[in-house]
Amino acid sequence: MKSAPTLSAAFLHPAGQSLPEPLLALRKQRGTALVDMPLPTRKTENWKYSSKYLKLTDEIAISLPADRKSGSSLAVPGYKVVFLNGVMMPEASEYPDLSGITIERFSDLDDDTATTLAERMDSTLDNNAVQMARLNSARFEDGLLIRLAADAVLEQPLFIVHEVTADASGSAYPRIFVEAGRNSQITLVEEYISSGSESVMVNTVTELALADGANVTSIRLNTEGENVQHIGATGVRQQRSSRFESHCVGFGGPLRRHDLQVRLEGEGAECKLNGVVVTQGKQHYDNHTTIEHVAAHCNSEETYRNIAADQSHAVFNGRIHIHQDAQKSNADMNNKNLLLSNGAEIDTKPELEIYADDVKCAHGATIGQLDEVSLFYLVSRGIGRREANVLLTMAFINELVEQIPVAQVRETAQARLNQFFDQTFEGA
Amino acid sequence: MLSIKNLHASVEGKEILKGINLEIKAGEVHAIMGPNGSGKSTLSQVLAGNEAFEVTEGEVTLNGENLLELETEERAREGIFLAFQYPVEIPGVSNLQFLRTAVNAMRQHKGEGEMNAAEFMKLAKDVSKQVDLDPAFLKRGVNEGFSGGEKKRNEVMQALLLQPKLAILDETDSGLDIDALQVVSNGVNALRAEDRAILMVTHYQRLLNHIVPDYVHVLAGGRIVKSGGRELALELEERGYGWLGIKDEEAANSAN
Ligand SMILES: Nc1ncnc2c1ncn2[C@@H]1O[C@H](COP(=O)(O)OP(=O)(O)O)[C@@H](O)[C@H]1O
Ligand SMILES: [Mg+2]
Repeated sequence: MKSAPTLSAAFLHPAGQSLPEPLLALRKQRGTALVDMPLPTRKTENWKYSSKYLKLTDEIAISLPADRKSGSSLAVPGYKVVFLNGVMMPEASEYPDLSGITIERFSDLDDDTATTLAERMDSTLDNNAVQMARLNSARFEDGLLIRLAADAVLEQPLFIVHEVTADASGSAYPRIFVEAGRNSQITLVEEYISSGSESVMVNTVTELALADGANVTSIRLNTEGENVQHIGATGVRQQRSSRFESHCVGFGGPLRRHDLQVRLEGEGAECKLNGVVVTQGKQHYDNHTTIEHVAAHCNSEETYRNIAADQSHAVFNGRIHIHQDAQKSNADMNNKNLLLSNGAEIDTKPELEIYADDVKCAHGATIGQLDEVSLFYLVSRGIGRREANVLLTMAFINELVEQIPVAQVRETAQARLNQFFDQTFEGA
Repeated sequence: MLSIKNLHASVEGKEILKGINLEIKAGEVHAIMGPNGSGKSTLSQVLAGNEAFEVTEGEVTLNGENLLELETEERAREGIFLAFQYPVEIPGVSNLQFLRTAVNAMRQHKGEGEMNAAEFMKLAKDVSKQVDLDPAFLKRGVNEGFSGGEKKRNEVMQALLLQPKLAILDETDSGLDIDALQVVSNGVNALRAEDRAILMVTHYQRLLNHIVPDYVHVLAGGRIVKSGGRELALELEERGYGWLGIKDEEAANSAN
C-alpha cells in the first residue's frame, strides 16, 4: 500500500525573521509540528471533493518576495491596509490614528502585546478540522493586529487588500488577528486579488475575537486569477451579546477553499453568515462552515448560494453543532444551488449535531437549474436571452448581494458578475 | 395581419393542434372559445414561440413574415404579445426591473433610446392606475404573491406598456370577479386600435359582453370547427358545445 502523502519538507522553511521573539517562537513551534503532516486526500472527509485540486509543489513552497511596491491600482476610498504577497505593507496602507483603535503590523508590536497575541493565535480555529491553517501558523510573516478598545467605533469600513504578484511560483501567508473590545464596532473588507500568471498559493488565516457586545462585519471578496490556489480560514469567537456578520463573495479558481468557523460562546451572541460563490470553466470552490452553539440563547443564520457553469464544481458543507448547554439556540441554515450547465456539479451537505433539547434548528438545501417557464415568460416580452438569463441568475443571489453593506464591494462584485454573465451566456 | 394555415403542433409526441386555419386583420377582435383541453393555450403558446411545443406542419405569417422562424423575443419585438393563462411568478426580479427591461428592449428594437428609471417610473405608475393596480406592486417580485386577478391585471398592464400589434389574451377573464372583469375589459378595450388585432381566448361568453368581438371561433379537438359573428358566442352560451358534434366528455370537461 502506498503511504499517505505528507507535506513536502520544502514547506518547512519560513523566510523572514523580522518578528518579535514570541511570534518567532510560536511559528517555529508550529513548524516543528508540521513535520510529516499528512496531506488531505480523497479519504479525508472534509477534503474529499477538493484534495485532488490541491497542488503543493516544491516550487509553490517558496515564499513570494514582498520587496516590490504593490502593483495594486485599487482605488479604495478611506482606510486601507495592503498586504503584498502575504506581508503587510505600511507604506502602501492608509489608516487613521484614532483613539481606541490600534492597527499594527506584527513586526512593530512590543513584547507584551506580541506575547499576548502569540497566546491567542490559533485559538479561534479547530486545527484538526482546518489542517491547512496550520501551514499558515508555521509560515506567516508580517501580519496585522487590529485592536479596538471598549466602545471604539470605526465609522468607515477598513479595506484589507491582499495582493499576490505571481511573477514566479510561490506562496503567501497573510495573517490577521482582530481583537474587538466590549461594544466596539468595525467593518472589515478583505479583498483578494492577484497579478501575474505563475502558479501560486495564498494560504490565509483571519481570526476575530469579539468581546461582549462587539459588533463586527467581515466582508470577503475573492477575485484572484486562474493561477492562484486560495486556501483560507476565518475563525471567530463571540462573547455575550456580540454580533458577527459575514459576507463572502467568491469567484472560482483552480482551488478555492474557505473554512469559516464561528463559536458562539457567550449568551445572546448572534451571527449571520452569507455567501455567494460563482464558478465557471473547470474551476473549483469549496466552502466549509462550522457554527458552534456553545452558550444558550444564541442565534445563527446562514445563507449560501452557489452558481456553477460549464464543468465547474462547487461544494458547500455547513455544520451546526449545538452543545448540550446551548438551550434556546436558534439556528437557520439555507443553501441553494444553481447549475447553469449539465457539466457543472455542486455538492452540498448540511451537518447537524444537536445535543440540547430546547432548540430551533432549520436547514434546507436545493439544487436546480434556471426555470424554463420563467425564461419563456421573460423573452416573450421581448427581453433578450442573455438579459433574461442574467435577470434570473441575479434573482438567485440579489438578496445576498444587496445585503453587502459596502457599496464599493457590491459594485466590484457586480462588475465581476457581469463578466461572468458575458462569458456564460455569450451564445444565448 | 396574422395568417395561420393548416397549423399542426404537438407536445411530447402528442398532436394537439390538427390543422388550424385563421386569418386576422388589423383592427379586428377575434374570440376563440372551446372546451377545456381543446388546444386554446397550445395555440397561444405556439404563436408566442414556446419551444415546448413542436410545430409539425403548416405556416404562420405576421404581416407577411414567417413567424415560425423567429425566436420568441423576436416575435415579441415584431409585435406579438401573449397574456398568459397562468402568469409566472419570478421572485427576485422586481416588476419594475422586469417591465423596464422589456420596454427598453422594445425601444431599442425600434431604434429609440432607453427610458431612464425616472421616466419609466412615471409611465409605469400611470399604466398601473389604468388597470387599478397599486403602484406599490412595482417593487415586488414579478407576480410574486399576486392574487389571480392581480396577475391578470398585470398581464393587461404589460400589453398596455408594450403596445403590441397582435395581443393574444389567454383566458385573461377567468377567475375575475365582476369588478375586476370590468377593469380588465376596460384595459383591453383601451388596446383596441386600427392598427392592432386582438385574439381573445375565453371560456365564457360574459367577457364578450364587455369586449365585443368581430368574429368568434370554436376550437375543438385541435381544429376550428365553427366560425361566426358575435352571435355565435350567445348561441354557445345557450346551447353548449353539444350541437356542434363535440364529444360529450369534452363538453363535460368544459363545465368545470
Ligand atoms: N406541456 C404539456 N405537456 C403535455 N401535454 C400538454 C401540455 N400542454 C398541453 N397539453 C395537452 O394538450 C391538450 C390541450 O391543452 P391546452 O392547449 O392547454 O387546452 P386549453 O387551453 O384549450 O384548455 C390537453 O390535452 C393537454 O393535456
Ligand atoms: Mg388553456
